Amino acid sequence: MKTCIVRRGLPRIDAVPKVTGEARYTVDLKMPGMLIGKILRSPHPHARIRSIDVSAARELEGVLAVITAEDVPGTLFAFMQVMADKHILCTDKVRYVGDEVAAVAAVDDDTAEKAIGLIEVDYELLPPVLSVEDALKPDAPLVHEDKDSNLGFEVERLFGDPDKALAEADYVVEGTYVTHDLAHTCLEVSNCVVKWDKKDRVTVWTNTQAPHTQRQEVARLLGIPRANVRVISSYMGGGFGSKLVTDMKAPIAAVLSRITGRPVRIVNTRSEEFTTAKTRYPYTIHLKTGANKDGRIVVRDMTVIGDNGAYHDKGPATINFSAMMFGTLYNVPNIRAVGKLIYTNRQMGTAFRGFGNPQMAFATESQLDELAEKMGMDPLELRLRNANHAMETTSCGAEVCGCAMTECMEIAAERIGWKQKRNGANGTVLRGVGLANMVHTGGGGRFYGYNSTEAFIKLSDDGTVTLITSALDMGQGAHTAMAQIAAEELGVRLSDVIVLSNDTDLTPYDLGAWGSRATFMNGNAVFEAAREARLALIEAAAEMLEVPAADILVEEGQISVKGSDEKHAIAEIVDHSVNEHGWTISGTGRFVDKLPEGYTIKSAFAKNIPCFSFGTQAVEVEIDAETGQVHVLKVIAAHETGTTINQVMAEGQIEGSVVQGIGFALMERLISEEGRIVNDRFLDYKIPNIGDIPEIEAVCVESEGTKGPLGAKGIGEPGLVPTAPAIANAIYDAIGVRFHELPITREEVVKALREKRE
Amino acid sequence: MEAFDYMRPTSVVDACAALREAGGTARALAGGTDILVQMREGKLRPAALVSLRDVPGLRSVRRAQDGGLTIGAATRLIDIETSPDVLRDHAALAEAASWIGSVQVRDRATIGGNLCNAAPSADTAPILIAYGSSVTISDGRDERTLPLEDFFTGPGETVLEPGELLTAISVPPAPARSHAKYYKTFRSAMDCCTVGVAVLVVFAPDSRVVEDARVVLGAIAPTPIRAPRCEEMLRGKELDTALMASVGALAAEEARPIDDVRASAEYRRVLAEVLTKRALAAADSWLQKGAGA
Amino acid sequence: MKRELHLTVNGVSYHRLIDTHRTLLEVIRDEIGLTGTKNGCGQGECGACTVLLDGEPVNSCMVLAHEADGHDVVTIEGLADGAVLHPVQRAFVETGAIQCGFCTPGMVLSAKALLDRNPDPTRQEILDGLKGNLCRCTGYVKIIEAVQAASCLLDEEEAS
Ligand SMILES: Cc1cc2nc3c(=O)[nH]c(=O)nc-3n(C[C@H](O)[C@H](O)[C@H](O)COP(=O)(O)OP(=O)(O)OC[C@H]3O[C@@H](n4cnc5c(N)ncnc54)[C@H](O)[C@@H]3O)c2cc1C
Repeated sequence: MKTCIVRRGLPRIDAVPKVTGEARYTVDLKMPGMLIGKILRSPHPHARIRSIDVSAARELEGVLAVITAEDVPGTLFAFMQVMADKHILCTDKVRYVGDEVAAVAAVDDDTAEKAIGLIEVDYELLPPVLSVEDALKPDAPLVHEDKDSNLGFEVERLFGDPDKALAEADYVVEGTYVTHDLAHTCLEVSNCVVKWDKKDRVTVWTNTQAPHTQRQEVARLLGIPRANVRVISSYMGGGFGSKLVTDMKAPIAAVLSRITGRPVRIVNTRSEEFTTAKTRYPYTIHLKTGANKDGRIVVRDMTVIGDNGAYHDKGPATINFSAMMFGTLYNVPNIRAVGKLIYTNRQMGTAFRGFGNPQMAFATESQLDELAEKMGMDPLELRLRNANHAMETTSCGAEVCGCAMTECMEIAAERIGWKQKRNGANGTVLRGVGLANMVHTGGGGRFYGYNSTEAFIKLSDDGTVTLITSALDMGQGAHTAMAQIAAEELGVRLSDVIVLSNDTDLTPYDLGAWGSRATFMNGNAVFEAAREARLALIEAAAEMLEVPAADILVEEGQISVKGSDEKHAIAEIVDHSVNEHGWTISGTGRFVDKLPEGYTIKSAFAKNIPCFSFGTQAVEVEIDAETGQVHVLKVIAAHETGTTINQVMAEGQIEGSVVQGIGFALMERLISEEGRIVNDRFLDYKIPNIGDIPEIEAVCVESEGTKGPLGAKGIGEPGLVPTAPAIANAIYDAIGVRFHELPITREEVVKALREKRE
Repeated sequence: MEAFDYMRPTSVVDACAALREAGGTARALAGGTDILVQMREGKLRPAALVSLRDVPGLRSVRRAQDGGLTIGAATRLIDIETSPDVLRDHAALAEAASWIGSVQVRDRATIGGNLCNAAPSADTAPILIAYGSSVTISDGRDERTLPLEDFFTGPGETVLEPGELLTAISVPPAPARSHAKYYKTFRSAMDCCTVGVAVLVVFAPDSRVVEDARVVLGAIAPTPIRAPRCEEMLRGKELDTALMASVGALAAEEARPIDDVRASAEYRRVLAEVLTKRALAAADSWLQKGAGA
Repeated sequence: MKRELHLTVNGVSYHRLIDTHRTLLEVIRDEIGLTGTKNGCGQGECGACTVLLDGEPVNSCMVLAHEADGHDVVTIEGLADGAVLHPVQRAFVETGAIQCGFCTPGMVLSAKALLDRNPDPTRQEILDGLKGNLCRCTGYVKIIEAVQAASCLLDEEEAS
């Protein structure tokens, strides 16, 4: 395929505003009359609210509104409304440290802060449940008293006959793997400005990954028609899943705005971001894998127990999704996936880059190495024997499209020096190499019962191309990718394309930026819109130049005619077309991801995924046996991209993911004492900084057979899925200790080494 | 941050007077990298901050004929790590300073602030104590001088009385045939120390025998502490691997660590042992390489 | 308590009455209205608020505005020469060292300060110079490349 604009590592279209400080983020917005809102949050993990006294706060000069549950709609809310369990402001009970109790709007930050301090709440402390184990005890206190137990959600999926297969398999390994709660730590904290105007329209400026679904959520929370809500997002300082589902800031600010008649801003403090902006779900995974002597994996059986936190969010979806990936990574005939979500008096979880899959991969890919050892087989060999291949359908129904799984493994193993370095063959005792595979969606999912989107393109008579798309750019580069796809298909220069996005009044309905979805879904719609606009342009050119349409070529912003040297700027054609005939030139693209035959939401399982993306990471580590410090020396991250739309940006997605994966594996964990998070700052919640990164080689492996735009797959999440197990496997290779729990801290390494010696 | 009075005196006398007049909660403001964080978190609510910015004479490093250093309390860490005078015979101090925070932090943070803040993990304290440093304190009228190891009284607490300023730190000349080393461990490349260990070893002429030694442990007790039994064990003995191991093990015993979010007490003991051993090994390898020659 | 404050920001001098408890970051963003300088944590850990104070990088969230009284501040808005990007900015754009962009202003200023102090830094010196700037998106790989590229661009500029 000849391509001019895609595949290359062209600079992002928003690089200049970002590098000059011109780019305005939601936290940078200022509005006339804007008030500062703040939220009083529960200091207790579990307590009954006896009474709230707001009189002193109301009297403070500069305070314009103070609200409690009485002042806000009594809606119960959850991402999935059937599971609704959370009020905007707590009515009778608080369920975690950070739960919203009351709020104020004041003229400035200092006054709002002071007012919050003046609100007096009388709490009756209740015994909290702070772990899944405690929550499951028969006499455990109930997080939600209207429910029979703390079990929030349960699901089981079965393919084949796992019990029989386990009984008959030549080798079976079994283990329990534990992951912890992690913070997304977007550099721009979650924040919003809300204006409830005189026409009863509520405008929400916020950093959201999903403006259209957030619009529905805010309307639902406030009990007002959707038509009355408009969501606008700006440049966005990171998402990673934390900004998919609304939290209570938007509805609280809306009510404060309605009362005061002024726009109200609420910005998380960094501490609030750590303690209330939701976490990666901690999973405890019980897992069994069975294989036969020939090296075929015949059965996998797992039970995931997820800590839901105090309220529902994306928990059921993450459990379901991770089960789909569990079923798909290798084509295993007998599979059982059980998932349970348990309510606790802790911060709630949500989506976090990988959507349950990183937790899952830590368990499955660690266990695969354990299995290989038991079988006396090289772990790479075991994986190669079980690799998926293009155009196969797995036993759990996954329709694998283009697939470069084997190639990814070969590249990663070759470049890390697998043969030379494995099993201490490198000479230095405390070095090791390990690898892990992954599969992820490369195009969102059909979980809503559909997966579709739309895009519009118009050409102005000056030749500029305006692209209206819902593809949301939280930093991953979606706008640039969309502009590249439009420019490529339309035959214009990248600099000719202007992207308009992120205002629900302007953009077509869309599910948002998640599930590595934007390139595949929005990209397909943009491609179609560009194609339509291109046809219209060719038609206009043919008319103006009086040649057959088939002879017209469009390239790099120029129109030429086959067999002649004549060239015309696109602007000339559009100008002629618009100003001579009144023919405007535009295109509409709609992409509807076709549901497979017999699809139902309930039964679909892996058929929810329109496109799979495989990858392998190989890691070399060095361990200081005395301090327990694990140094990751090198990571080879080979990931499938279909067609790479932007080489540099795709590498950037992989590199960023790998480093988050290193944080997940070795450094990051929210620590709580009696339900209170004690490391609510970067001083003690360590994310990798520039001095912590290894040499990283991101390899984009192209493959054919994908229904993405120009053959592309999403690459937003895959890069962090296999990092942790690859590191754990490398550590095992180095020191012979198998870690079943993340993060693998210096302290744990020292402890384990000591136990091993004894 | 809550409001407070702010003064910018132009002499030590005026600064001390301002501190006294503003009352017990008034504080000196040097680089602000500790105190502003504490104020923003509401842990500290001083009625007034007395800025040292315009007080002359507090921001310099002077090296005397004998090789001793006098460091003004408001000298920035960035100036210490790059000072040729410090690098000459007290490179371990420069190195300790360079491991604090980031460039942005060290462009503001001062050595006096690091000491007066009195965090058990303060990175300049162990190495300064190992060098045998003393501090000069002024109340605007009189001065007093005391060994740095007597300066700290608890976490965040020092002997400073209201109205007093730390004005200078005196670091004695490095003894002949001596080697000093500070080691700290990090959870990420920018971190307060989980444990810090400074060791100064003075070798006897022409031998591997330790004539004198100081072992100082940081972040492992309410204040930075000397490890006298370790020092005793080293004195008069040949520094071999077995001795290093025994002294390391003893350092772990002398530590009085606590559990906190950064590490367990048990792990801190492990680190005290390892870092002590490594600092001794560094001295040994320095000697093997010709004692800095 | 308010007090007079003189500041030069990006070559423009400002003279205001400012509360003594305001930070340099607050004055730059809220009083002067330059929002390129970001607030990421308020504790000196993330470096998003980095500005150059008399040419040296500092966390403006940890500098009281009045401590900068009479001094010279450069923010990200003051780096480019009109429409011509500073070589460090150009290098960040061209190597793909930018994703969400929230850390970018601070990162760019730290990189500039590093190269001012040390025009030809080793990899380790780049890591030491930028470890006070957190980035959650890029994984830093392309940021290191950007600083290396900027060092070359500055060399070329010097030569011509
Ligand atoms: C991101 C970050 C990372 C850090 N990393 C480290 C680290 O790795 N290691 C480490 O040790 N520290 C670290 N720190 C802490 C801090 O930077 C240092 O302790 C610094 O040296 C404090 O100096 P300062 O001038 O900023 O003190 P200030 O904050 O100005 O003052 C600290 C205290 O000392 C008092 N004080 C200051 N000077 C005097 C004086 N002359 N006389 C009397 N009292 C005085 C003040 O009143 C205040 O109570 C870090 C801080 C930050 C923000």
